[in-house]
Amino acid sequence: MHSNILPEIVKRSENGPFMKEGDFERALSRRTGELVREYGLAFDGDVPVPSDDDMADRLYQAGLDLFLDMGVYNQSTERRILFERHEVEELVALAPGRLELGTGKDTVIMRHREVEGTTPATVLSGPTGTPCSEKYHPLILLSCAQEPLVDMLGAGSVSTYMGHQIIPGTPLEMMGSRRDAVVAREAVRKAGRPGMHISDVAVSLTCQGKLAAVDRENGLRPSDAFLVSQMVELKTDYDQLSRVAYLKAANMHIVDLMTPLIGGLGGGAEGTAVVTIACHILGVVLYSASYHMMSHTHLRWVNNTDRMGLWMQAMVGQALSRNTPIPALNDIYTVSGPGAPELLWECAAGAVAGTVSGMNMQGAGTTGGFETDHTTGLEARFIGEVSHACLGMSRRDANELVLELLTHYEETFNNPNRGQPFPEVYDENTVEPKEAWLEVYHQVRDEVQGMGLDLDGAWKKVRHG
Amino acid sequence: MAKVPEQIEQELVQALRAGDIEGAEAVTERALEQGVEPLDLIRGAIVPALTDVGEDFQRLEIFLPELMAAGDAAEAATAILEDAMASAGEESASLGTVVIGTVENDVHDIGKNIVGTLMRSHGFKVVDLGRDVAPSAFLDAAQKEKADVVAMSALMTTTRPSAGSTIGLFEEVGVRDEYKMIVGGGSVTDAWAVEIGADGFSEDAAGAVKLCKSLLGVG
Repeated sequence: MHSNILPEIVKRSENGPFMKEGDFERALSRRTGELVREYGLAFDGDVPVPSDDDMADRLYQAGLDLFLDMGVYNQSTERRILFERHEVEELVALAPGRLELGTGKDTVIMRHREVEGTTPATVLSGPTGTPCSEKYHPLILLSCAQEPLVDMLGAGSVSTYMGHQIIPGTPLEMMGSRRDAVVAREAVRKAGRPGMHISDVAVSLTCQGKLAAVDRENGLRPSDAFLVSQMVELKTDYDQLSRVAYLKAANMHIVDLMTPLIGGLGGGAEGTAVVTIACHILGVVLYSASYHMMSHTHLRWVNNTDRMGLWMQAMVGQALSRNTPIPALNDIYTVSGPGAPELLWECAAGAVAGTVSGMNMQGAGTTGGFETDHTTGLEARFIGEVSHACLGMSRRDANELVLELLTHYEETFNNPNRGQPFPEVYDENTVEPKEAWLEVYHQVRDEVQGMGLDLDGAWKKVRHG
Repeated sequence: MAKVPEQIEQELVQALRAGDIEGAEAVTERALEQGVEPLDLIRGAIVPALTDVGEDFQRLEIFLPELMAAGDAAEAATAILEDAMASAGEESASLGTVVIGTVENDVHDIGKNIVGTLMRSHGFKVVDLGRDVAPSAFLDAAQKEKADVVAMSALMTTTRPSAGSTIGLFEEVGVRDEYKMIVGGGSVTDAWAVEIGADGFSEDAAGAVKLCKSLLGVG
């Protein structure tokens, strides 16, 4: 296959086997269950960070088999896009393993990371999956962009434009998309990091809405990225593929967004992990993604800091690290919100499990996305600090640490502490955390240091060697 | 309601929980041959079994594939029983007709599919309009299917206004009072449901079934 793959994708979308969507879902569920059994994949809640290289490799093969057997469902044509094994293996081998993101002094290098390795993880933050109000969105973005350990900014989503609900496909969507891009650009400028990589403007749901955010001077540039989404599970459509066409032509970064549901079509943690590997392969083959955003969530709690979510993050991270060159990101989703100690404990568990398993960092998607403005830069700082302190740690030690971290929040899932909105925990003028939120941060930070993580020294070592 | 023979009940429940379509069909046929009343089989075996399956799913003791398989097996068994009832000139066992869909511009439908599966398993006739459903499409389907309930799902804060637009359209054409209109999905809250004038809201699939039963005074 040559580098301009889209004409072939369209051809296969038009001529692949017809299948009703419900039948595709049933077939995917069935095949996933078979592969879990064939490859002997087993979730163990007592070992959220496994150290089993062989299982990681079997998981990758199961995901590859699923991708080859099912293909990708194109909702626009109701046909499956199928691939040969040699095509997939070739495209995966050709995928980039090192990316320069952003411009000038603010450029960061995102790398494929090794299991238990010492390559620092990059940290992407912003109101990840947490809705923002028009009023506080600029301050929330600034609170993230100004954090020294945050390397990249996600612009997040605001659902209104001058008080009007944004209806997708209307002029309001385009205006909202441009507004959010300008706000993100302004945030990185105010933070003194004008070249910082901006990853997506999330408000728009249509292709034209997304692309309206492109503006070299005041919006998103070629050094930035847009998300191209998959629909659960292993589905795409022409709207998403059209974004790929534009972004490739504009020389912009493409981010492969997947949102596998634990307990959904893949079944439990093992099956959803198989589906998630296949999703990453989709991102390589169909979307030519620069990097991949793994936003798996628990079907009921909408987080991934429970045992199944952490296990998935660890196993999928290890499987990808050992079998592909791609840079993958964990997207830490929590049930808790700012001001709550549980949020920091959840972030720590996600950062530990992901870092030793070869992932780059993203987060935090707080309150499962249920509460508006419940997100700040402080939890992103903590993710960076914990991640840098885990470099070179063994998975066995990480597992013990994660088990200890779980004891601080695991019991709250059914009655989560959603914390407080941004203006309650940050000063609106100085954009600094208020005393109470800082106190919680320092208390949890001290306890985590007491568990053996060098939060003071590790980031300095990352910066200065 | 007459008691369903124990062996029939056990075998049917077992087949449903295993998602065994052929097994469920075979037991159902045998039950009819033995003179079991279709309604007794539905109310005495299928609904309780699927209620248990639904509760297991709510606790995530089983996952969506198992729920879907049980729903498919129940649908196959119910189809046989509906045919038998139609042949005998009896009325349908349906608790009511629910028109369900994900609102306009929203392509996320897994939550809506789960609700649809549970509704069917509890004896509702479900007309699934799929995703990205325009307000006028909800209206057309509600009128054509003589729906009792219109159920709308929205995952995103950017798409949920369409649920309000749909209710507004029903009001505008003067048919709002003919239907119970309910909402759910990741972005929907109780307060939002009240704000747009919905008849009810549920945060999960099992709650949606209870809500429909309560609104219609059935089950």
